[in-house]
Amino acid sequence: MLSEKALELIKELDRSKDGKLPAFNEDIIRKVLEEMNTLFQQNQRDVGEAAAGEIRYFPSIHLRHAALDRNKRCLLSYLYNRLERIRTMRWEFGSILPADIRANLCEPEIQWFNRYNKNLASYMRSLGEAGGLDLTQDTKPPKNLYVEVRCLRDYGEWEVEEGDTVVLQKDTTHYLPLAACHHLIRQGVLEQVE
Amino acid sequence: MLVSDLRKEFYDVIKGKRILVLVHSDIDGICASKILQSLFRADHILYTVVPVKTRSDLVSAFEQHREQARYFLLLNCGGCLDLVDVLSPPEDVKIFVADNHRPLDVCNIYNGDQVRILSQLGEDEEVPAFEDVFREEESEDEDEDSDEEDGKRRRFDEETLERRRARRQWHQQRHKIIFDYTQFSYYGSSTAMLMFDLAWKLSKDNNELLWWAIVGVTEGQVCERTEQDRCVLATGSLQGHVSRLNHQTQDSQPLDCLRITFEKELKLALYRQWSLVESMRHSLYASTTLKLWTLRGEKRLQELLAEMGLPLVQCRQLYSGMDVNLRQDLRSLLEEKAEKYGLPDLLFPSFSASRGFRTKVGAADYVYSAAALLEPPQKDMTPTAAALDVADCLTVGREEVLERGIEGSKQQLSAIYRQVQTFLDMNQVISAGPFLYATVIQGTPDAWFFSAPHCLTLLARFTLRAHVSVSRGRKSGALPLVLTSPDVRAAQPDTCLVCGIPPTSEDSRRNFFGKAFEQAAEKTASRAELEFFDTNIIRLSVDDRSKFFDALISLLS
Repeated sequence: MLSEKALELIKELDRSKDGKLPAFNEDIIRKVLEEMNTLFQQNQRDVGEAAAGEIRYFPSIHLRHAALDRNKRCLLSYLYNRLERIRTMRWEFGSILPADIRANLCEPEIQWFNRYNKNLASYMRSLGEAGGLDLTQDTKPPKNLYVEVRCLRDYGEWEVEEGDTVVLQKDTTHYLPLAACHHLIRQGVLEQVE
Repeated sequence: MLVSDLRKEFYDVIKGKRILVLVHSDIDGICASKILQSLFRADHILYTVVPVKTRSDLVSAFEQHREQARYFLLLNCGGCLDLVDVLSPPEDVKIFVADNHRPLDVCNIYNGDQVRILSQLGEDEEVPAFEDVFREEESEDEDEDSDEEDGKRRRFDEETLERRRARRQWHQQRHKIIFDYTQFSYYGSSTAMLMFDLAWKLSKDNNELLWWAIVGVTEGQVCERTEQDRCVLATGSLQGHVSRLNHQTQDSQPLDCLRITFEKELKLALYRQWSLVESMRHSLYASTTLKLWTLRGEKRLQELLAEMGLPLVQCRQLYSGMDVNLRQDLRSLLEEKAEKYGLPDLLFPSFSASRGFRTKVGAADYVYSAAALLEPPQKDMTPTAAALDVADCLTVGREEVLERGIEGSKQQLSAIYRQVQTFLDMNQVISAGPFLYATVIQGTPDAWFFSAPHCLTLLARFTLRAHVSVSRGRKSGALPLVLTSPDVRAAQPDTCLVCGIPPTSEDSRRNFFGKAFEQAAEKTASRAELEFFDTNIIRLSVDDRSKFFDALISLLS
């Protein structure tokens, strides 16, 4: 069947909807491109003859053209979808991607990611008065400027903005600005107390 | 320095600054810290809370966090130590102390700047006057100078001799005054109550904070720490707050919010979460008065229940399984029969909280549950984690922690009861002259429960009352009790915990064992660690135990 392989790509993305990016499937893309090439060659041949007046070839030309279009659409949607997911990852994880996700990206995608980073950074720098605003910090408006956290394991000294340091010892409770301890809560060193 | 206005001299000073709170692992302290934490959160005062259990914990925590903040707050710890000496704070650091242990160290009270005491001293607490305790030491220098000038010849004129004699006399006087002042250790009013008053003055009080203050005050009552009249006063003022904050009817407020009621409560431990018979057996007051470990006692209990008209089957089931009308009449029935069976003080004024459709929980139940959580039977919990557990149990919405604590408390109370039964059956409470003496034998499976200060004190009180109720002579009522138990929780092997409590005949709850233990340990050079902030408990090495007790006997007789 024509353009079955292209559908494979779409199904692969659909199965991994929970946000994990599967590895860039170079194999199938190459096969799809080959298929498109053969279809195109066949079409070229037939168009030459049809232009000479043979109406018999019209349906097959249309069919191949439709298949070519479908392949193109599948490929484009595959690439675009991956880029969208990479973009959400920037907002979730920050400007450095974890190694296992990075392994699933192909080279042009990595370059795209770096350029996106640069764009976002220069945009954020231009906002606000002093040095810009970090938009990726809170995607929802925070309920509180400060948050009460409990330390789950010994971490040592940690610097809060304004130059104060906090000693993070196990089983101590602290009240700190959310921005400072957001990172540590993610890591699991601190735990937020309701 | 004593602080009179908490708001101006404490709260306004720390607004906008960072503060480090060192809180003792006891229920009153943790309640006070929770009240303060919610106040600090409202005003965005950055804080760090570190739970400490012993003196060395306090010193090491202070060392670690030395550079972090300019203001320190010590809750229920450190009031009786000379803080400037022990902690040696840097120049610009201010230490606030809110401690319910008394007597407060004179150096703390008269310190000009660095140490500020937030606890209010009652009228009956006398502090030695400044002149009696401190004095300018100029005369000493003068003397030395004049000695040097004259070379080796000593001066024997009247003036110098007079001065020396006066100084010696002053020193002796001072020694006596300090000894009298620190001889008895006791407890002042609850710190949680103090913090609630601060919240009230700032108009930031609410039912939650009030409940924490109630639990803090009830701990003093249940653990027999605060004097009776002070308890009554505290309960009275709390009742005022309760009626102020809880006067709206059930319909006008959402069902989920906390409602506190003031009522007469039975002195039966956890009776709402246990069966009636079990609760009577394990409560200090009821059990020792009715002597429930003897056969006669059991019969009397059954008589009492029969007279009240409660079916025995239902009394042995869980309380929540009893008939509703029986439960409602229980208090009045007990009140009637209490006199006849010798239980006049069975009811005491207390508070209970209800939220939504959950069963009512009394303040005393919270105290038992928190006490069990502080000294958990699990071997791997650190004391700091246990303190956090207690903080959780008091939080709204964490009822499963409270229930876990209640189960733990049932185990603790059963272990205490079994141990008391063993003591009395095998006559292990011996009179050692000026005091009674009992020891938990090494290798008892329940020893794990008793190697914690709170549980040990409870066991001691139970044992003393039980012994007094069965012994024939009048004398045992006037003797204090010293109880030792092997410390299986300690890092070093072969240590034991020693706990001393005052006699039952005395109304006052002043305890002289703190000073007595200290002196006995000094005399015999035993390896004793006077670590705990509750000075009536020390940790002692087992080998030194016999000579320590000999010294104690000679000291007290």
